Amino acid sequence: MKKTAKRVIPGFGLSLGITLTMLSIIVIIPLISLVIYTLKLSPKEIIDTITNARVMSSFKVSILTAFIASIVNLIMGVVLAWVLVRYDFPLKVILNGIIELPFALPTAVAGIALTSLTTDNGLIGKFFAKFGIEIAYTKAGITIALIFVGIPFVVRAVQPVLEKLDGSYEEAAQTMGASRFTAFRRIILPEIFPAAITGFGLAFGRCIGEYGSVVFIAGNMPYKTEITPLIIMSKLQEYNYSQATAIALVLLIFSFIILFVISLVQHRNAKILKGG
Amino acid sequence: MDNDKKGNPIVKWLLIALSFIFVVLFLVLPLVTVITQSLRSGFETYKKAVTDSYTVKATVLTIEATVSAVAFNTIFGIFAAWLITKFKFKGKKFLTALIDVPVTISPVIAGLIFLLTFGRQSVIYPYLQSMGLKIVFAVPGVVLATIFVTFPFISRELIPVLETQGTDEEEAAALMGAKGFTIFRRITFPHIKWAFLYGIVLCTARAMGEFGAVSVLSGHLRGKTNTLPLHVEILFNEFQYVPAFAVSSILVMMAVIVLAIRSILEYRGKKAE
Amino acid sequence: MYVELKNINKSFGDFKASDNVSFEIEKGTLVGLLGPSGSGKTTILRMIAGLETPDSGDIIINGKRVNDVPAGKRGIGFVFQNYALFRYMTVYDNIAFGLTVQKVDKRKIDKRVNELIELIGLKGLEKRYPSQLSGGQRQRVAFARALAPNPQLLLLDEPFAAIDAKVRQELRTWLKDMIQKLGVTSIFVTHDQDEAIEVADTIIITNKGKIEQVGTPREIYTLPKTAFSCSFFGNASYLNNYEKFLSFDKIEGVEKAIVRPEFIKITKKDEFQKYVASVSEGVVEQVMFRGDTTEVIVRVNDSVIVAKRGLDEPTIDVGEKVNVFIYRIFVTVGDNAYLLENKNLNESSVVI
Repeated sequence: MKKTAKRVIPGFGLSLGITLTMLSIIVIIPLISLVIYTLKLSPKEIIDTITNARVMSSFKVSILTAFIASIVNLIMGVVLAWVLVRYDFPLKVILNGIIELPFALPTAVAGIALTSLTTDNGLIGKFFAKFGIEIAYTKAGITIALIFVGIPFVVRAVQPVLEKLDGSYEEAAQTMGASRFTAFRRIILPEIFPAAITGFGLAFGRCIGEYGSVVFIAGNMPYKTEITPLIIMSKLQEYNYSQATAIALVLLIFSFIILFVISLVQHRNAKILKGG
Repeated sequence: MDNDKKGNPIVKWLLIALSFIFVVLFLVLPLVTVITQSLRSGFETYKKAVTDSYTVKATVLTIEATVSAVAFNTIFGIFAAWLITKFKFKGKKFLTALIDVPVTISPVIAGLIFLLTFGRQSVIYPYLQSMGLKIVFAVPGVVLATIFVTFPFISRELIPVLETQGTDEEEAAALMGAKGFTIFRRITFPHIKWAFLYGIVLCTARAMGEFGAVSVLSGHLRGKTNTLPLHVEILFNEFQYVPAFAVSSILVMMAVIVLAIRSILEYRGKKAE
Repeated sequence: MYVELKNINKSFGDFKASDNVSFEIEKGTLVGLLGPSGSGKTTILRMIAGLETPDSGDIIINGKRVNDVPAGKRGIGFVFQNYALFRYMTVYDNIAFGLTVQKVDKRKIDKRVNELIELIGLKGLEKRYPSQLSGGQRQRVAFARALAPNPQLLLLDEPFAAIDAKVRQELRTWLKDMIQKLGVTSIFVTHDQDEAIEVADTIIITNKGKIEQVGTPREIYTLPKTAFSCSFFGNASYLNNYEKFLSFDKIEGVEKAIVRPEFIKITKKDEFQKYVASVSEGVVEQVMFRGDTTEVIVRVNDSVIVAKRGLDEPTIDVGEKVNVFIYRIFVTVGDNAYLLENKNLNESSVVI
């Protein structure tokens, strides 16, 4: 005769109802329709689509550029977080505020701005053109756009962790005779590592799927600078939904793997800290 | 904290210089470029580009989509955060994971998913047609795509704050006979005020700038389903660089305002703790 | 009976928090629910308040079964362990909240709140926020807030746990006086035996989801009925084989023999010991100065026991051989506890 327990705080039914309804319209039903549509595709069609040489090379371009951009952001993210937490200097508030620009600035605007900077006539492009280096319409250009997009992720993941480390850890290490660098490597780095990896993973996931900032600077030459989201977009413009879906599935699976790895890292870290 | 006084000053200033160079190159320079490029042919051209009727229409649609997304996601965010932090129930983890799905998906794929859901090949397409509802390649599609990509933005800000706040105060209030809305208004809301505003700001910023998903669903009908970012794309691809940057400068200004509000909110929020 | 619990059962997953719990509380009493952590005492309190729902059994308040009455309608005042003061409301608004949601007339609210602020001695601090108060002041506010709507029953969850040891003593006395003055039936939960003995009129001992014993502090302390309640109180030591100590009745099936420091008399070899015929010889292992007494740990007949000596008595050193005399022992057989008196106490006059 077990009844469901009464809840003391009111609003459970109402909240559950509204949450599920809205979630259904925006997330659940669209996801289900994706699954239904996928099931209608024949495995052969999916495999043929994704093993197509042009598609395969787009995966390579997307993963390579996203990876390099995220590595740059991993390193610079830790440096920026460190500088923002540990040092006082002029314009710190502005530096801290502008980090989030890529979240606030529409990607298309960033895309055209970066493109005009890096073409042969652009401020930066002109400089590199003297040495025969092209940036816009090459993989270097794509990487630069992706660096822009991914900047906030690592900084914002590492910053709160560094803020919580109140310096007594390093002091403890130093009283035991560790040098500042050793203290950083042995004490600080392990503390911020899970956060940095989380930020890296989020940036990587974002970069793999990025479209707006990349289309303008990429030049979109098949086999060379064509990224996967762009291939999906052109399939959609040809109303070729089945091939677009097949390629999208690969990208989706890839992002879920990234998310899974992030949660593994976090889980392992929580285990060490809480001994669970 | 006097962390500042410890450590090697050379390392300190090297790192600060490195940070500034990086940020100036990757963030400040693009901003400045937008402004200088937009004013390259003088203020008159700028004014003409900004007041062009297509630009105005795109601005109106962008505002519409943004307001819808903020309103929808605010309602969702408040109820979802209340549900997830104040009650225990089965499937909570799964629900939380589902809410975060939209931000982990590439915007282009988000657009694709909505095409499949509401487009010609969808199971519900005949019903939508019989009701006279056109979603794909129309304004509702643009609005839906905008809601989707910003879906968790508000709940994500509220949940951690409510999580650390616990349920004691709400229990105490309920025990004294307070009704749900009273509890929310008088007990819970003061805790989440700053996080809530912060979420709205983030949601606004992302909503007005969304490009990929909106691009898929809009069909690029100039004057009808074009938002500001899409308008920028069209102008740029037509080699109308000055107008493209002029329209972009509107978005840049909005972004700068958003960042300023964000910083203020963060400061106020920290002070309120 | 004012509050009655009848055959209450409650489980959280595999954990049985209440195992057929029944007890009754008279109107106007101050009851202490005492037990170690995880014994289910807080669950009982939360079920009475309506914050948890029992799996089975009846909760009756003032003759009415309240199982299906929502928490907010039971007319109960509740003081949370961490007080759960509304952090974004002033002291005044916190206390007024319960009356405000009942839509009581503004002037009446004002009168009542001022009366309570006066009562808890926080006049002048009405405009403060909880974060600007000390732990003791917060507790007083929580108390006043719970009392504001004139509840018929006041429940307090570990009311002193979050307070410094020094203030705690003062607050215990204050709370007991306050509750007696107001005459409101109150139940508080504690894991601290001293607190329960000092504050409560009636103590209910809980262990592993069951009620071990109900009684006045004196009854519970001097006549524990169960194995658990006799080991829970006092600084108990266990005797490995109580038969070796002289002049006690031997009982069948004894599982544990327990002594408290006040049951033991330690004397130096050259000191006068009235019952010298019944002493055992022990060796002092540790001596600790406790301020008002000296605690002595002695190994005697293969057991290690804790005893006390007054500060006016000659000092004892570690390693010294001493006489150990035991006045009485609690022995447990199964779940029951019995008191054994040293027979020499009655015969002593004859011996001399």
